[in-house]
Amino acid sequence: MKKYYLLFGMLLLMHSQVISQQTEVYAALHKPVKVMPQEKDSSPLKQVLTEVERSFQVSIAYKDEWIENKQVYFSSSAFKAPEQALDSLLKDTGLYYEKAGEKFYVIYKKNKKAAGVPQSSAVVMPSLFLAATEDLATPFAVNFTQLPTIEAPLAVTVSGTVKDESGGGFPGVNVVVKGTATGTTTDTNGNYSLSVENESAVLVFSFVGYKTEEASISGRTVIDITMTPDVQSLDEIVVTALGIERSARSLGYATSKVNSEQLSVNRTTNVMNALQGKIAGVNISSLGTGPAGTSKIRIRGQSSITGQNNPLIVINGVPIDNTNFGTNQGNTAGDNSIANRGGGASTDGGDGLSSINPDDIESMQVLKGATAAALYGSRAKDGVIMITTKSRGTSSGIGVTYNMNYTNETPLDFTDYQYEFGQGEYGAGPATPGALPNPTSGQWSFGPRIEPGMNQLLFQNVTVPYEAQKGILNKFYRNGQNFTNSISISANSDKGGLNISFANLDSKGITPNNTYKRQTVNLGFGYDLSDKLSVKGNINYSHEYNKNPPVVSDQDNSIPTSLYAMANTMPLNVLEENMYNPGGGEYLYSRFTNRTNPYWVLAQVKQNIRRDRIFGNFSAKYDFTKWLSAQVRIGQDFWTRDQDYINLPTGKASISSGSILSAVPGFYNGLYTQDARRFRETNVDFLITAAQTFNDFGVNVAVGGNQMRRRSELNSVQVTDFVVLDLYTVQNGRAKDPLYDLRERGVNSLYATAEVNYKELLYLNATIRNDWFSTLSPDNWSILYPSVSLSYVFTESFGTKPDWLEFGKFRAAYASVGSDTDVPEYANVLFYGVNGNQFAGQAVGNFGAVVPNANLRPMTVEETELGLDLRMFESRVNLDVAVYRKLTTDQIVNAQISDGSGFTTTRINSGKSENKGIEMMVNVLPVKTDNFQWDFTFAGAYNTTEVLSLLTENPGENITVGSHVFNGFVQQIVGEEMGQIVGYGYLRDDGSKNADNLGKIVFGANGLPQRTAALIPFGSALPKWTGGFTNTFNFKGLIASFLIDFKLGGKVLSGTNFNAYRHGLSKETLVGREGGLLDANGADPGAVIGDGVNANSEVNTVAAKAEDYYSVVRGSQLVEPVIYNAGYWKLRQITIGYDFTKFFKPTSPIKGVKLDFVANNVLMLKKWVPNIDPESFSYTSDNVVGLESPGVPTTRSLGFNLNVKF
Amino acid sequence: MKKIYNIWLLALVFVFTVSCDSGFEELNTSKTGAITLDPALILNNAVIFSSIPAGSLNYELGIVQQVISPNTGVLEGANFNKNNSGNTVANWVNYFQNTVKYANDVIVRTEEDPERANLYNMARIIRANAFIILTDTYGSVPYDEGGKGYTDQIFFPTYQTQEAIYTDIIQVLQAATSALGAGGKIETADVLYAGNIDKWKKFGNSLLLRAGMRLGQVNETAAKAAVAAALSGGVILANADNASIKHDANYVNGVGNTLNGTEAANFYLAAPFVNALKTNSDPRLPAIAIRFVGATSGPAQVAGVATKVAADQFGLPMGSTDAAADAAGATLPGGGSRYAFSQVDRTRMVKRTSPLFLVTAAQNNLLLAEARFKNYIATGDAQTYFSDGIKAHMDQMASFDANSAVAAADRDTYVSSRTATFAGNELAQINYEYWIASFLNGPEAWANFRRSGFPALVENPFAGKDVAFITRLTYPPSEILVNSVNVQAAIAEQGPDKLDTKLWWDK
Repeated sequence: MKKYYLLFGMLLLMHSQVISQQTEVYAALHKPVKVMPQEKDSSPLKQVLTEVERSFQVSIAYKDEWIENKQVYFSSSAFKAPEQALDSLLKDTGLYYEKAGEKFYVIYKKNKKAAGVPQSSAVVMPSLFLAATEDLATPFAVNFTQLPTIEAPLAVTVSGTVKDESGGGFPGVNVVVKGTATGTTTDTNGNYSLSVENESAVLVFSFVGYKTEEASISGRTVIDITMTPDVQSLDEIVVTALGIERSARSLGYATSKVNSEQLSVNRTTNVMNALQGKIAGVNISSLGTGPAGTSKIRIRGQSSITGQNNPLIVINGVPIDNTNFGTNQGNTAGDNSIANRGGGASTDGGDGLSSINPDDIESMQVLKGATAAALYGSRAKDGVIMITTKSRGTSSGIGVTYNMNYTNETPLDFTDYQYEFGQGEYGAGPATPGALPNPTSGQWSFGPRIEPGMNQLLFQNVTVPYEAQKGILNKFYRNGQNFTNSISISANSDKGGLNISFANLDSKGITPNNTYKRQTVNLGFGYDLSDKLSVKGNINYSHEYNKNPPVVSDQDNSIPTSLYAMANTMPLNVLEENMYNPGGGEYLYSRFTNRTNPYWVLAQVKQNIRRDRIFGNFSAKYDFTKWLSAQVRIGQDFWTRDQDYINLPTGKASISSGSILSAVPGFYNGLYTQDARRFRETNVDFLITAAQTFNDFGVNVAVGGNQMRRRSELNSVQVTDFVVLDLYTVQNGRAKDPLYDLRERGVNSLYATAEVNYKELLYLNATIRNDWFSTLSPDNWSILYPSVSLSYVFTESFGTKPDWLEFGKFRAAYASVGSDTDVPEYANVLFYGVNGNQFAGQAVGNFGAVVPNANLRPMTVEETELGLDLRMFESRVNLDVAVYRKLTTDQIVNAQISDGSGFTTTRINSGKSENKGIEMMVNVLPVKTDNFQWDFTFAGAYNTTEVLSLLTENPGENITVGSHVFNGFVQQIVGEEMGQIVGYGYLRDDGSKNADNLGKIVFGANGLPQRTAALIPFGSALPKWTGGFTNTFNFKGLIASFLIDFKLGGKVLSGTNFNAYRHGLSKETLVGREGGLLDANGADPGAVIGDGVNANSEVNTVAAKAEDYYSVVRGSQLVEPVIYNAGYWKLRQITIGYDFTKFFKPTSPIKGVKLDFVANNVLMLKKWVPNIDPESFSYTSDNVVGLESPGVPTTRSLGFNLNVKF
Repeated sequence: MKKIYNIWLLALVFVFTVSCDSGFEELNTSKTGAITLDPALILNNAVIFSSIPAGSLNYELGIVQQVISPNTGVLEGANFNKNNSGNTVANWVNYFQNTVKYANDVIVRTEEDPERANLYNMARIIRANAFIILTDTYGSVPYDEGGKGYTDQIFFPTYQTQEAIYTDIIQVLQAATSALGAGGKIETADVLYAGNIDKWKKFGNSLLLRAGMRLGQVNETAAKAAVAAALSGGVILANADNASIKHDANYVNGVGNTLNGTEAANFYLAAPFVNALKTNSDPRLPAIAIRFVGATSGPAQVAGVATKVAADQFGLPMGSTDAAADAAGATLPGGGSRYAFSQVDRTRMVKRTSPLFLVTAAQNNLLLAEARFKNYIATGDAQTYFSDGIKAHMDQMASFDANSAVAAADRDTYVSSRTATFAGNELAQINYEYWIASFLNGPEAWANFRRSGFPALVENPFAGKDVAFITRLTYPPSEILVNSVNVQAAIAEQGPDKLDTKLWWDK
């Protein structure tokens, strides 16, 4: 049993911000006071001191024997400072205290002067120790019965430096000789020095929140140690819903915390993409749509049948808007996805997260389950990402931090095309006798075999060698660059502090005309106006300019679509030099007129998106008493977004065969759109919290309410045909199509939460919330839903726990959440509109294709989860595992109805789906020596989602929710996993005529494979397994970590391969290129004899021309050949960093320098889909999930992050 | 101080608790949509969507061998006699989702309102026109319950047979035309005839004439009755009364828009059409056609190589794929490829703003010629109707474009050459002229070809065709998917859901 205690509290939790302090800590600290001394009602001094330490995050050192058996009383009045508490506590005990350092107090027996404590010592403990005598009765860690007197010679002095995980000096670490009471703490630079009598002694280094380290002296005089954070720390404080802070041990559900470095060091332009593979159960996809693209986040899979599965984003306790402007063509389920008007401009305009500067983030907490999010209500059914931004400095005075991050992005080319047969069709190349003067095969590689010396005639008069053009992706695309500079200034004092930061992001996309710039200003502050009243707030302003976000995944204007299918002998320079025809329009290089010349796109297709955004909130908190307080908060997210884009430029081949004149005489053709959007969301809320302790029981109660209002406006004008050439303005357009849209919705809520704990071992939490939704009818707009959770720290209730098990917690939770997120505004009534233009001088009325339903109810999510949290083997093995089941009922199904009714869909409450999964976080320290440490973390999850019912529960019933821009669909099918990729497959012999032929592909009389009569499901697009492995190595402060991540178990319909197949680029299409009947000009169209049978179940002997054979994916919509396993393993990140702080003297103006080299998307370890990165493109909407279409190539980024503190 | 806070807090809680849903109805009322709207404006939309959709390029215009594409893929349809569900749905989608939906809204909202009796009957006529096209295309369709998804909450309508539909259409047209003008306001906001009762009556009776003639082979009694009723009620016999959608730059002609856009270089006049007009020295050929001599690409189709001369016109042979068309194109005078075949002139007849004629004086005169010839009616003279019909169409050409006008002398020469051989060839000649007079109105040209068997078109020679002749279009996949019980019942009654299943009146 130790005789002395040195307990250090967690550092740096803002007093004014911490609601848990009233809910939990105060409860412990301020037990009810009764009249003076009655033995049974008093508390042991030792227990109270511990509570003071926790409450004020200070350390108090004392000698056990002095305080043993002492009972104290303390008043319920507020202690605003530890001094005040200690004054009160020690008043009648005969003990005194001294402030021995920042947040460090020592208790001693005689008057303080005699204690000889240096008043301003950086090295507090050794002085104390050396000064210790029995006379002086030093309070510190000296075992008087064992130690010799001060005169006794000391055997050896050991010194060294203790560093934190980032390699910086670690002040305040407790260093004790094992088995003795001899000890010290490190100074502000992490240095310590200690006299030890025994050369074989062992030093124990400890600090709350960090793993305890041991080092054998073994004759050494210098021992350096690096401390590593204890992720499973008992005292970890977790921010839960509404910003309420709780100790991790009290939670009955799973959360994941992300520290700021994980977001800011190895960063991505959209902050969330950096977390791919790092959080169990959180599936993040970057979409291959340029640097300002959307980050698609799905927590515990997707549950909504109609595609609304976005987690709620909360910043400093208040939700912000995360509206997505992604590419969602083919999304047929009307899930409010916002897309550009009109074809030819399908770009990803980004989401709400993109306006956040990673440097401003202090911490991020992911609430995964419904229980965790129950208090956020409707919008939190898919989890919550809670971001806390910086609001004050970490040490007193002014601090300045400068951060520079630079990365260079290289496009990755995964194509593995055939280069044996070049440009052409049916075996005829552009130089074959009889070929046309202006060959238009440009997108087809079904030409003759490439032989040395052959020429091809292109663009009527250009003759170039007929040879393979490899690596065109890297020739066309440039290297991208991201350059971020940010500077933050923070101030801190007893009363409060602030943090202000400025950041500039300058990003060059790999598409040569695509740039993205973002400037952000962030201000956070908090101040205690009085003992009882405190205020805090934050404001974030950002300006973003996204220039020419690449058109992707479409037929028209999409550079990737044209490039990935470009004939394999087409030289890029010829394309570039001949992009204009004599009429000034696009020179037609392919009969596929939609496949726009990529260089012409660069020159003609323009888009500008500018967004100004300001969000933030202010709150005031008033402490009525120590146990009761109230808070009001008002938050707003406001943005304006101006966008203009050229849907179809003048002269595009597909709108008029390359002429720049339209059929309307006197005008130049084309289509142009200008949009202006304004968005405002306000949240006003209040929260009253009370906390009390009754003997072994602690109780926290909070009651609150929230009023949310959202207003979204769009002014848009689209014009076609222009008076002046190349002047894209709405005035210049001949026919104008104006549009104004206004949408408003509101949710009012009242909620309450209560926590009861027994001895801080067993916690029971319950919440109840009522929401009122404006979008539903009065009969249905109110819904009440509860949650309950339990946490049991079983290791602390064992009489004796096993040696290997330090900590064990079991948790269980159930929650229900109601939601109206699938219900658009005004869905209950049929509204009439008036067309933008008159016809024959008369107005024209209209109304929509959806039958309104006035009786929609909120949908309900019910989630049950169980979890286990273990720390074992001296915290070198830590495990956190959760299993859950989530049932989503009363989903709003956009039910397709017969359009014979005049309408295409109606919304009804009937969908039901079930998510089941397991999440696991394993952290292991396989190697730990003084100089080297290896930390291994696995975060992984398994999730499946089954559709249980749509309109009925009949298995096989389905709805089509999205369609591929080329071919194929996404359906929800009862009894199957959610997100089924559906299309026509090969018709296969049924074995009725010849059992041996069962399952063989059936070919028609023309030799082409026949397709199934009906659409067939090929499997779910959703990954079942997601996660990653992080290995971190720390060698003498040089820290290297790498992350391998994976997504497994989903299917993809690859549009890129669809084109590569039908255009003759896939290696699979090499079969049967020769040996066909020569045409009149001697070209060999090839002969493919498919392996299978004919309709009569006889072996197929009919040869088809190669181009016809491989075009069935288009002609017959037979997509089975291009369905793949979408899984992958990637070496996602490498980070190598070193903290140079120790090279700077304490007097230096530079307080810290840290440099990291970073690499992202480093290496593809394993994939199953050819020619593309499985991540290269996916749609933002879940309704078109798994339908890949050519996106901007993924990139490998290399760079560095430099962080300097002043 | 503390008290103030307490009161403030209590007030806040009070505000939240008493007003948890106040203002929600207001919040959830659209400020950009109207709860109600003059039904006349909705009828205008129903009228606009009565125009023939661009999808007629893929089927109807190809089935009657007037315009075809050599392209495979998305343009496949009648060019290769193949079932392409992406294109068979065009009429279904256009009429059900628009004309039928909007007309039904007007009918329901004006049924009980004597003041809007004219509007009510106009809507019934517009609905009847849409259903003639729908049932002529597919056979059995949801008729009684069609378009009533909102008003009657019928999401999965049942189908009626073509016989039942025609029976009701004839009854509705008679009732509606006779009720027009009986009372109520004149609907001047109407975009078809500005509410002109007389013209609406003629339009309704013209549809009645058309419907009646359709039934000639299956119910001659009903046919005679309908034709007689139509004639006595008064049908469109002058071009000034023609029912047309006068497309403009905002409300474009579907076919014109397609032929002036992406597919400009992908559709050609079919050889049978060009050859027929050439053989008969039809002055309409130079008014319709243009050919870009020697063109080998879309961009090469420039004015400098264009010819409108009748003798220079060559239609694309039926069943030609890209390669075959290229090969055939190379043999044309001046050479070239498939791009060198004759097209409908995009700058004259099929502009984006070209009018689309629903019913014309030409069509009616020709129908009456046949009716008189068959003695369905007793008045008039078949040959006079015949020549009036031809003249009406010749004169109508100028309304597409001044440069498509046919000179009166040329017109009369042609008419006299046709009337010279009229006797003994009445039905063939009348319906041959109907075929030309219905050029660009694919559904009507196709229906009359099926009904009359004229002109005697040759089977599409394409080797891989699904059927010999297309006599109906297949149901949309969406119906098979979501309204399967009702559509399967219709299929069971009508015959397989194939392109060559014959419809009730098509004997």
